[in-house]
Amino acid sequence: MSPTTAPAPTTRPSLGWFRRTLRLTRAEFTLFVRYKTAWLFLAMPLVFLFVTLQMPDDEVLDGVGYAELSVAGVLGTIGVLVGIGHASNVFTARRESLVLKRLRVSGVPPLVIFGATTAIIVFFSLVVAAVMVGLIAVLLGELPRDPLMLALAVVLSAVSMTMVGLLLTPFVRNAEGAQMVSVLPMMVLLLMGGVFFPLDLLPDTVRQVVELLPVAPAAQLAQAAYTGYDVFGGYQGAGTPGYLGLWAAALPSLLVLLAWTLALALAVERRFRWDPRQP
Amino acid sequence: MTTTAHSAATDAPARATTGRPAVVVRDLRQKYGDFEAVRGVSFEIRPGELFALLGTNGAGKTTTIETLEGFRRPTSGTVRVFGENPYGQPASIRERTNAVLQGSGLLEDLTVRETVDLARDLAARPRGTEEVLEMVNLTDKRGLAVRQLSGGQKRRLDLALALVTSPEVLYLDEPTTGMDPEARIDTWRIVSELKKDGVAVLLTTHYLEEAERLADRLAIMHRGEVRVEGTLAGVLEGWGDRVAFAVPEDVRTADLPELEGAELSVETRDQALWATYTARSGDASERAHRAVGALLAWAGEHGTVLRHLQVRGASLEDVFLSVADGAADLL
Repeated sequence: MSPTTAPAPTTRPSLGWFRRTLRLTRAEFTLFVRYKTAWLFLAMPLVFLFVTLQMPDDEVLDGVGYAELSVAGVLGTIGVLVGIGHASNVFTARRESLVLKRLRVSGVPPLVIFGATTAIIVFFSLVVAAVMVGLIAVLLGELPRDPLMLALAVVLSAVSMTMVGLLLTPFVRNAEGAQMVSVLPMMVLLLMGGVFFPLDLLPDTVRQVVELLPVAPAAQLAQAAYTGYDVFGGYQGAGTPGYLGLWAAALPSLLVLLAWTLALALAVERRFRWDPRQP
Repeated sequence: MTTTAHSAATDAPARATTGRPAVVVRDLRQKYGDFEAVRGVSFEIRPGELFALLGTNGAGKTTTIETLEGFRRPTSGTVRVFGENPYGQPASIRERTNAVLQGSGLLEDLTVRETVDLARDLAARPRGTEEVLEMVNLTDKRGLAVRQLSGGQKRRLDLALALVTSPEVLYLDEPTTGMDPEARIDTWRIVSELKKDGVAVLLTTHYLEEAERLADRLAIMHRGEVRVEGTLAGVLEGWGDRVAFAVPEDVRTADLPELEGAELSVETRDQALWATYTARSGDASERAHRAVGALLAWAGEHGTVLRHLQVRGASLEDVFLSVADGAADLL
């Protein structure tokens, strides 16, 4: 049965998705800067940077110490801290305070709302990465061999981990809960990232599984981008395949990250709750 | 069980409502597990018309609104906004509707101005920030952070955010809760203007005066069902006119006259016995006159006086309270 109602006039212009996302991203920037907890998530990767700098700098590859590899790996995990931490925190708080519902009833599409938060997390992840590269340059005298690959690792990690953060929100009832619950996946994913101990130490089968999770590929991409070594099959016997060779070697890791990002985004689309009222 | 008061030709002249309904709800049911929050609700709202949904807490009003807003899929029944199913807020209708939610939904870290600017920039056909702030009387507060606003000021900002997108359908869920009387009257004025501009409005409120002033039609919900529906005049008409007086001391209750088309009830108020005749049948515009005339004639014959004689129509409050008490079930 379809009751008759007034036909929708077609005169109304539709605002571009991109323009709206950009506008909401600007507001997200203001909100991020004014929100102190957000700064905490930015500071955490820097803390990890200094922790890993204290590791013994035994030479693992020709001219590359263990500390340098670990530090480079931290660059690939910025997204884990900022993405999971910030996204789960603010989206839970905004759902409970009806901010999300308010945006939805005024006609803002989900894609714009998710897009703006993802964009701001990507932006601040890149800022933190730039700060860390600066620190590494000063402290270790090393610059990344492939800045583009490094940036891509940071971006893909930030996007996929933002989706993980969004996926946590249906399971918690308030922002405090989100902060507590997000610590567990954060720690597990960080440990599985191969930053705090080399994945070479794991049994082969375990390592292969871990490398299919979204963090190890990002960390390996960052390490490869920083050192120029093909570390994707482990540190042992890693060579320097040159610019294009490194990208070819990086392809499986990139695909794993892209697949995770897509799968997580679809899961968010299906599972995300906008309304604090339990159904 | 459902009393539907259809408006007679003698009702207040119909508003200048035009066109086909913007909102249509047909036999809507919403179940949460075993609990049925909404049980077969139907109504329509035309452009320029305000439909008020009244009822006790938990009557199912907000669930009904949330279904129209597209957050809930009906368990059964149909809901249409501009002819489309609103579930999931399809692009074709989301830019033509807006709402004041029961809770606020404001970003506390932004200023008033930033809040309205953001909503304006995200809207497809916006009103200007200054215009909207002027409308809700927040111009002098525009530099303040939202967290510094009082409850009533936040409520006015909520209204501003609903206005800024120039909606054609507006859902107002208890929009004046927390407002001072002046802001409430301002809000009524704004809503009246919107109606003149052809906006279809759905209002829920606990202030019956608000519904009396604004509603073209209204429904009273109780436990998920519409118990009373119609125009204000139509609803009140069904509840009859009341003629009351203090029972003279020299008259026994049993000797009070029977009136055709009116029902007698006697109760003790302030240690005195009061008789109330409720006239429900016959010509609505003359039934009070006929009842009073018959009673005065009776008093003349018996040489007695009807002290404290009162005549009044039913108020929305009478109707509401009897629905809320469950007394409506007995009618």
